[in-house]
Amino acid sequence: MTTLTTRVSRLGKPRKATYWVLAVFVLGSLFPFYWSFLVASRDNGMLTERVPPLLPGGNFFANAARVFDTVPFWKALVNSVIVSGTVTLTTVLFSSLAGFAFAKLRFRGRNALFVFIVVTLAVPTQLGIIPLFIAMSKLGWAGGLQAVIVPNLVTAFGVFWMRQYTVDAVPYELIEAARVDGCSMIRIFWNVCLPAVRPAAAILAMFTFMMSWNDFLWPLVVLDVGNPTVQVALEKLQSGYYVDYSLVLAGTTLATIPILIVFLLLGRQIVAGIMQGAVKG
Amino acid sequence: MTTTVTREGTQAGVRRPAPRPGLRDRLSRWDVKASPYLYVAPFFIVFGIVGLFPLLYTAYVSLFHWDAGDDNPDFIGLDNFRELFADAQFWHSLENTVSIFLLSSVPQLIIAVLLAAMLSTRLRGATGWRVGILLPYAASLVALGIIFANLFGPRYGLVNGLLQTIGLSPVDWQANRFASHVAIAIMVNWRWTGYNALIVLAAMQAIPKELHEAALIDGAGTVRRFRHVTLPLLKPTLIFVTITSTIGGLQIFTEPKLFDAMPGSNNGGSTHQFQTVTLYLYQTAFENFDLGYASAIAWVLFLIIVVIAGLNYLLTGRIARTSKRRGA
Amino acid sequence: MLTTVTTFRKGLALTLGITMTALAVAACAGGGSSSGGDIPAAAGPNEHVELTLATFTEFGYEALIPEYERLHPNIKITHRKTGQGGPYAQDMMTKLAAGSGLADVQAVEEGHLSDILSKSSKFYDLTQVGPADASPDRWLSWKYEAGKDKNGKLIGYGTDIGPDAMCYRKDLLQQAGLPIDDASVKAMFATWDSYFAAGAQYSQKTGKAWFDSAAQNFNAMVNQLPVGYLDKDDKLTVESNQGIKDAWAKVTGAVGKGESAKLTAFSNEWNSGFRQSAFATKVCPAWMLGVVKEQAGPENAGKWAVTDAFPGGGGNWGGSYLTVPTQSKHPREAAALAAWLTAPEQQLKAFQAKGTFPSQVKALESPELLNQTDAYFGDAKIGELFVAQAKKVAKPQYKGPNDGQIQDNVTAPALQAVEQGKSPADGWQQLVDGAKKLAR
Repeated sequence: MTTLTTRVSRLGKPRKATYWVLAVFVLGSLFPFYWSFLVASRDNGMLTERVPPLLPGGNFFANAARVFDTVPFWKALVNSVIVSGTVTLTTVLFSSLAGFAFAKLRFRGRNALFVFIVVTLAVPTQLGIIPLFIAMSKLGWAGGLQAVIVPNLVTAFGVFWMRQYTVDAVPYELIEAARVDGCSMIRIFWNVCLPAVRPAAAILAMFTFMMSWNDFLWPLVVLDVGNPTVQVALEKLQSGYYVDYSLVLAGTTLATIPILIVFLLLGRQIVAGIMQGAVKG
Repeated sequence: MTTTVTREGTQAGVRRPAPRPGLRDRLSRWDVKASPYLYVAPFFIVFGIVGLFPLLYTAYVSLFHWDAGDDNPDFIGLDNFRELFADAQFWHSLENTVSIFLLSSVPQLIIAVLLAAMLSTRLRGATGWRVGILLPYAASLVALGIIFANLFGPRYGLVNGLLQTIGLSPVDWQANRFASHVAIAIMVNWRWTGYNALIVLAAMQAIPKELHEAALIDGAGTVRRFRHVTLPLLKPTLIFVTITSTIGGLQIFTEPKLFDAMPGSNNGGSTHQFQTVTLYLYQTAFENFDLGYASAIAWVLFLIIVVIAGLNYLLTGRIARTSKRRGA
Repeated sequence: MLTTVTTFRKGLALTLGITMTALAVAACAGGGSSSGGDIPAAAGPNEHVELTLATFTEFGYEALIPEYERLHPNIKITHRKTGQGGPYAQDMMTKLAAGSGLADVQAVEEGHLSDILSKSSKFYDLTQVGPADASPDRWLSWKYEAGKDKNGKLIGYGTDIGPDAMCYRKDLLQQAGLPIDDASVKAMFATWDSYFAAGAQYSQKTGKAWFDSAAQNFNAMVNQLPVGYLDKDDKLTVESNQGIKDAWAKVTGAVGKGESAKLTAFSNEWNSGFRQSAFATKVCPAWMLGVVKEQAGPENAGKWAVTDAFPGGGGNWGGSYLTVPTQSKHPREAAALAAWLTAPEQQLKAFQAKGTFPSQVKALESPELLNQTDAYFGDAKIGELFVAQAKKVAKPQYKGPNDGQIQDNVTAPALQAVEQGKSPADGWQQLVDGAKKLAR
């Protein structure tokens, strides 16, 4: 009996090897960032050296200053925060709502509509840029930030993901109990469903923010020149037949910082679902 | 797609509180009926504004010999499709796509599930580890292009350097068709494994610990618990990961484009040895200006993806179901 | 429920609305030809006009734009600058296909010129909307002529050019026992035959490569021919054009003798190749000097030299044009701006700012340009040298539709395939098949 108790209490405790394996993965993941920082803190010559240096040089702040001199970084940063922030909030909210409806509510056409959403994911996006530009011009939105925000207010990916997660994460018993208590649908969503799907919502938020933050071609095509996002602004650092990578990578390093902040903030939300205690009773 | 939803007998939307006359009841009934539509509406509105038109546009354009900027494109019916089915380059690019897809998705998903299992243990500094494995997803493409070129350069590349040090002959990662697929798959896996692991991790967090405890009391070991408790409950998520990876894998574009030694090229190598369907589609539209033909490629690729994703859906469902039956 | 349905219908109606309009527009998108009398009238001198100017990489126009606005107080210019040519081309293509969004003055790179010329109905004829002072004699005639479509409609004003010269490593030539005095080098680089023969000697002696990649030489050779990949009737010539066949035989022959370093231009390995001294000579248009300098690095300073002896005479690689799309609502003002920017005085300033080599006859006579030297290349008189090279370029070769695609996406990969081990005969077949597919 004692052994069983210890085994149960040990459940989920990582072994040393787990740390080692994860460490290898994380090192591999960190490498490009570190390497970018190395180049950004040195000069272009590093790229063609046979044995690259291991430690950063002293030029990072000088290179970063050149970035600020060359492109309207702060203005672009504000734009990117507006675009990615809005898109992340609405995608998470609308996807969770739709996911809740598809997973837990019965309504006519539910399956057909859901399959339709998943199928739209399979449409190749490369050609869409031309008709989308036509549409945005007709709507009079070309040039403004709404042209970048509206197409991404909610995504098929988000709806699909939140629906799949909600299916098992939110027990029917809880929804029914709330109905008996006279809760409205939206209250059930807000008070019962949303807390239960927090880890999934956090992940969707990370992915959406990241996707929107790094989007390049569409903002380049549709935004007014005085109104760029960070990626569009940074692209101008790569001009000429000869690219100064210490400058370019100083720019990308700066542009990655907001992503890391968002990842760290949201990564904490991927916690064990709160339903664990709730089902017990 | 209904399997996972309908296994519960009762549905919240159907079960209503006992009928009471009056406004409140009418409101409540209206709430139950209308809410689902309201909740799914945002997607369809956005799709109506920005998604539907491109779809119809490409369908329409695919029926024409439509050079970008043409004033009077010729209507040619299904000729673009007929030509496409006889186009060796298209089939070649489809082979490349499927090969890269298999080389990347299969190991990627297996490693992702194992990584997620490790991340779901009670790690010290859990957030750090999770963000750590997601980082490749956030890496700048410029940096990636240079790093992977430095790794897989046929002449000065690090990988070939290592191969030669241990006495093996170097590989021309650009010229050799299979080698180029392997190199691209490594790039894809590096970028996307952590991303998929995090998705699976979120689903694992939702599995009640009680189930594991019960299995433990029954004397199940780690592997059996994983197969018979974790895996079946991950089914909806595994379906999600499989379908999205299938779609993403068959639309693979960025990695083969970055991999090409010729910067910005859509050729997929000197003999198209790693040109994927989306690269071919892109080249047709934006380099050769043949919008009609490119639209035809887009539609055929779309249908192929739907079929393969559908097959994978059935397959994933079956795998998860078998392990559950055995576990029960 | 009601709200939902209405929203749905609204969304649907909106979408269908857009769809129908767009389809209608697409289906009957006639007009836009500048040959008729439908050119918008010029704005009055006090009428406020907003113009957009789209360029890529560095045109050196940053200081010129405010100057133009000072000279023309009623004109306000927005400069859309894209860093790289790739995204710029896609942006331009998207807006050309979408029928809106192009700038009033849109820069076009030489490599994309053939595409634009085959869509010349989408651009104004600059001889009609442009000012009188932008006359043909402003430019080198080959540059001016290349900006016309096959019916003689002038689509673009020339900005800069990239006259070809040859760069070579003095130290490596010397080590291989090749002569490095001026006269001998000139004799060695006089024709492609003598150039490849010297290369064979070099490679045999050192076991190292003579040039960076086959495509770099092949492109220069084909550009020197009287007829390129397509003739004036837009018929594909590859199979009948003896010049192309000869160039192919010479280049692939040289590859067979180990003369190619097999490094795709601008690839990462190519960059490294400069530091590793992987090749001894390099086709060098004016703008390439900066690339050589940066990639080879300070440790190779003084080792590289540049000569005006370019095999087979002169040649040009690179340079751009300014066009006025018919999408512009102010074609006359746009053309006036383009003409002003491409005037000799302005192009000289652009050259001083960003090193873009001017294509204007007067600019090429400027002492500032002629006296330019470069310490990295042993104080070579590069100004004089490239001016001389620019004047050597023969009459322009007609570039039919998809010419640029054939060069970049058919012949360059076919040569790369030969470098990777394909037989020259199979490589030639790949070239013919690929070119036929594009020209269909």
